[in-house]
Amino acid sequence: MPEVKLTNVSMRFGDVTAVDEVSLTIADGEYVTILGPSGCGKTTLIRIIAGILEPTEGRVCIDGKDMKGVEIEDRDLGYVFQNIALFPHLDTEDNVSFGPRVKDKAKEEQQKIARKYLELVKLLDKMEMFPSELCGGEQQKVSLARALATGAKLLLLDEPLSALDARVRVDLRYELRRIVKSLGLTTVHVTHDQEEAMSVSDRIVVMRAGGVVESGSPEQLYTRPKDIFTANFVGETNLLEGWVRERKEGKSVIELRDGSSIEVAICDREVGEGIVVSVRPEFVFPFTEGLHSHVHDIVYMGTYWRVRAQSVSEDEVEFDVPAHEGNLYQNGQEVYLMVNRKAAVVYPRPREGIAEATKLE
Amino acid sequence: MPDVSLRGLSKHYGSIKAADNLSLDVRDGEYLCLLGPTGAGKTTALRLVSGLIRPDSGKVFLNGRDVTRLEPEERKAVLLSQTYSLFPQLTVAENILFGPDIKGASEEAKERLLADMLDLVRLTKRPDALPRELSGGMQQRTALARALASGADVLLLDEPLRALDARLRISLRHELRSLAKSLNITTIHVTHDQDEALVMADRIAVIRNGSVLQVGTPGEVFDEPISPFVANFVGQSNFVVGRLVKKGAFSEVRCENDMVIQARGCDCHEGQEVVVGVKVGNTEIIREGEGFFAGRIERVLFEGRNIYLDLDAGPMGPFSAKVPSWRLGKLNVGDTVQIRWSADKANVFPMPDIGLKEELRVE
Repeated sequence: MPEVKLTNVSMRFGDVTAVDEVSLTIADGEYVTILGPSGCGKTTLIRIIAGILEPTEGRVCIDGKDMKGVEIEDRDLGYVFQNIALFPHLDTEDNVSFGPRVKDKAKEEQQKIARKYLELVKLLDKMEMFPSELCGGEQQKVSLARALATGAKLLLLDEPLSALDARVRVDLRYELRRIVKSLGLTTVHVTHDQEEAMSVSDRIVVMRAGGVVESGSPEQLYTRPKDIFTANFVGETNLLEGWVRERKEGKSVIELRDGSSIEVAICDREVGEGIVVSVRPEFVFPFTEGLHSHVHDIVYMGTYWRVRAQSVSEDEVEFDVPAHEGNLYQNGQEVYLMVNRKAAVVYPRPREGIAEATKLE
Repeated sequence: MPDVSLRGLSKHYGSIKAADNLSLDVRDGEYLCLLGPTGAGKTTALRLVSGLIRPDSGKVFLNGRDVTRLEPEERKAVLLSQTYSLFPQLTVAENILFGPDIKGASEEAKERLLADMLDLVRLTKRPDALPRELSGGMQQRTALARALASGADVLLLDEPLRALDARLRISLRHELRSLAKSLNITTIHVTHDQDEALVMADRIAVIRNGSVLQVGTPGEVFDEPISPFVANFVGQSNFVVGRLVKKGAFSEVRCENDMVIQARGCDCHEGQEVVVGVKVGNTEIIREGEGFFAGRIERVLFEGRNIYLDLDAGPMGPFSAKVPSWRLGKLNVGDTVQIRWSADKANVFPMPDIGLKEELRVE
């Protein structure tokens, strides 16, 4: 299985730098997702890996070999597009056996390969159907089977689920990971969907404005993101402005704008420094004391209630209440909010302001 | 603001029933989400309300008035397409004032309207920008302002957030709903995204094959689905097939392997073949104590606030569960655990005539 290594890769289109000196290694057999908002350079990057684009600077190595001048068809990779691109005049089986056919494999061998991968994506029963007779999710599974049937050990997935309905997407992403992992392929998957990235990846690389913000396992990025942009991008979070009042092992005190205080377990900023605390809604809870707030919106999410409150410090705070506790809140109600101190992450206050530092587009 | 009433609407394209005896009442000032898979007839329903297409049969009422035969411009129900359809060569201000211009509104009235609209959609700094210079969210707000400026009092939104990034979509849900609510405008919002519908809607209408299956508050649709399809479409569910052996406040269902499970009360009769549905988020995984049956953890996926578990429950088949992520590391692949749920979180349905697999198809 191949390793993919990018060294100082840049891509400039005139004045626009789409990818800015990215260095990244994707290990053999690793499932890596490149996650970022529209325009962050993720699609350009995957196209560079594929050989569709030649980077203006830097080096791409696959399996230890420099890919400079190597065309896409000679890179031994499978590519699945966002816009499902099946051959409309070929049935499912012939679409999947396309790769083996152009490699002049024997007819029997072609069939065997097509069946193997159609079985893997659970579409053996639709072998004789044409793309137009399949629904979107099935079409995308055929695209995947076709990419796999080339025998490539490196799979590139360019927003493979974006064109599908939300509900279909959820089922398919679990399938996708199962299939890819069962074959042990090295996979690079590009998406703007943080939930998708969480559930398929071994590692997520967060991109913004052409550069890599940080990379880590889904758990690392969700629980202890290094950058405030990541904290907000990979899941919803509350961002509370304050100052470090006291630093202590395992229990530092942060003063918020209204003078109330919260405790955090880990704080690597100095006393007196302006900071932002990030804490996710499931780790904020009402208590007898804490951040003085008023409830202004309550939404049922099925397994929990999402309560939105405005604090007297003018922070907007969201917290979750398990559904089985019932709806205990109403608009206008006064609450005092505490945070789970182990789940709070402290960032230096961004010079450009929180809004700019976490901007989604 | 008017209410919208659709009475027995049908619209056929050859053998395809895009609307099939569709009836729906939307209340004055309500934010209603029309939720369904691709091809369910959501967009057709919106076009029937706006007047862009005419039904083969049935009637459309706006504010109690039969508008079935009226042209779109006579209806004040404005449809916003997925792609916003802004005029690319016109500025934000010109796009917003397009309707009033055509209607010959006075300069003074237009100026006032423009100021109001820009303020409302937070674009006071960008009246001279062209659509392509704006972000996706801004383009969407411009389209909304244009619809409102045209005098719409029913807003028809066709997948208004689909073109945006996933994370941005989540941030804009609240904003879009607040805007409609602050104007007290009756809104029908079409979406295929059940989370979006749960967060945004006063009520959700679930639609499939051109008909409305169920209308209710997010709580009703989530907790009291009318069919296995709704149970699985609005939040994923596990299903168990069996026979109803005991009726009452709670039901008891005996599965093929003689295991007995509990669920809510139901209208089925004893001995009937039934399907029990329980949401993956309400499927409890316990290490100690007794569940309904045992399962072996096959896969653990960290998904942020939750971890997603795939289990092999032997004769009960594959099961899935979503549990809070603080349990990560405490539940591992290979562990044998007990599976249970509170009886009031599981729903009993008669076995669908078309079979369970076909019933659950999401596309």
